[in-house]
Amino acid sequence: MHDTLVACTALTKRYGSKTALSGVNLELGRGRIVGLLGPNGSGKTTLIKILTGLLQPTEGAVLVDGQGVGPYTKSVISYLPDRMYFADWMKATDLFDLFSDFYRDFDRTRAMSMCASLGVTPSDRLKSMSKGTKEKVQLVLVMARRAQLYLLDEPIAGVDPAARDFILNTILTNYNEEGTVLISTHLISDIEKVLDEVIFLKEGQITLHDTVDSIREREGKSVDALFREVFRAHNVEGGAF
Amino acid sequence: MFGKLLKYDFRSMWKQFAFIWPAALALALVNHFTVNGLGSSSGAEETAAGISMLVYVAILMAMFIVALVFTIQRFYKGLLGDEGYLMHTLPVRPWQLIGAKLLCAVITTVLSVIVAVASILVIMPWDREMLGELFRGLEYVFTHWNNQATQGVIGILEFCLMMMVFFAAGYLQLYLSMSIGHLFSKNRVAFSVIAFIAVNAVVSGLMSWFLSPVLDILSDLINNMNGMAGFHAAMWAAMAGELVLCAVYFAGTEFILRKKLNLE
Repeated sequence: MHDTLVACTALTKRYGSKTALSGVNLELGRGRIVGLLGPNGSGKTTLIKILTGLLQPTEGAVLVDGQGVGPYTKSVISYLPDRMYFADWMKATDLFDLFSDFYRDFDRTRAMSMCASLGVTPSDRLKSMSKGTKEKVQLVLVMARRAQLYLLDEPIAGVDPAARDFILNTILTNYNEEGTVLISTHLISDIEKVLDEVIFLKEGQITLHDTVDSIREREGKSVDALFREVFRAHNVEGGAF
Repeated sequence: MFGKLLKYDFRSMWKQFAFIWPAALALALVNHFTVNGLGSSSGAEETAAGISMLVYVAILMAMFIVALVFTIQRFYKGLLGDEGYLMHTLPVRPWQLIGAKLLCAVITTVLSVIVAVASILVIMPWDREMLGELFRGLEYVFTHWNNQATQGVIGILEFCLMMMVFFAAGYLQLYLSMSIGHLFSKNRVAFSVIAFIAVNAVVSGLMSWFLSPVLDILSDLINNMNGMAGFHAAMWAAMAGELVLCAVYFAGTEFILRKKLNLE
């Protein structure tokens, strides 16, 4: 087990002529909750997708727990994408079977008890569930794993403030404390209180990576206030959970 | 891990075919009675028998269309659509994902063919004499190895194997075309269709320009062999050719999924 959980070196991703990430160098340790903050189009989803292996970088390298992206890194990463990834014919219990088969760290008992506390009936067909219930199922799948790295892409965008607290509470009470949680969002005020570290991503480049405490001490303001200052020119309207 | 992937692909296959396979067999049974009971029947009964035969033929056709649509959909939605976010983050390699989809598609096709053949057998007017002849024939084949009848059975098995490889090559060509379509950021379905036509054109071009001299030599060799030996050689040669295509299509698809994946 490496002390450095995530190491990105000179990471660049281009889509044709558009550069989504440009020379990103990043190191993340263990046992942290890290906010990946930036407006839409700043490269948050691209960075997360590269860590999951859903995208290949144009240049640069990524190591997770000392290994290049592949079956091992996928086995220690728990990923919440910004969309639904279910096949309609499945029930939540089918997905629990699938996760139990593929991920050794999936805790089915925990998943069932999370369903009970979130008001989800896991034997219902996904097709018959509301959008909000499906989102809960996806959150249960991700947080019922004892993963080393949780990658949560916009988990609180597009939901009302009460639901945000509910989702954050679910994350905080269920994540593996030896692992690291990387949460991408532009809704800083809701999330600031739970973060240990923040990364500011602007036009594909990291402009700041520091602990929340030292930012408050150095700047004399909250992360939310600093974010608004840095990204004032940008439109920070939300994506969807 | 490959076995686990297969388990989930088979589960989705069963959801799709749990109705249509039993329905085809049940309709065949209905037709067994309507077709074989037509000897002294009235016009109305003949019309009913005709309709039931039409429904049976329609369901057989639907079965193969569903098998093709199922193959395309399971790959496109499962690996290149939103479900790809789940499948490509499982701790498996891209070749395992493609291999599981392919094996499931080929087995689905084989099972559909078995259901179709079984349904035709169900319709036939079986009596004691026919069954006796069938069993005597089978007994002859299994007790007299190395004669022409056995060679015929081996030939039929070779033909079945060749058809399986042929279907696998067809499905892999579809997979490659969809993967090429996926390389474009817009109109991916349209580009997949164009890619399919282009791959077809390239393969037939290569066949006629580069492979025809080889095929001529091969067919001369096969023609000079005696009856069954020539047939066996032709089957294995065709299989080898299709397997080369399978390898090329598989490698191309695997490369795109491993290096160029870009889900929406």
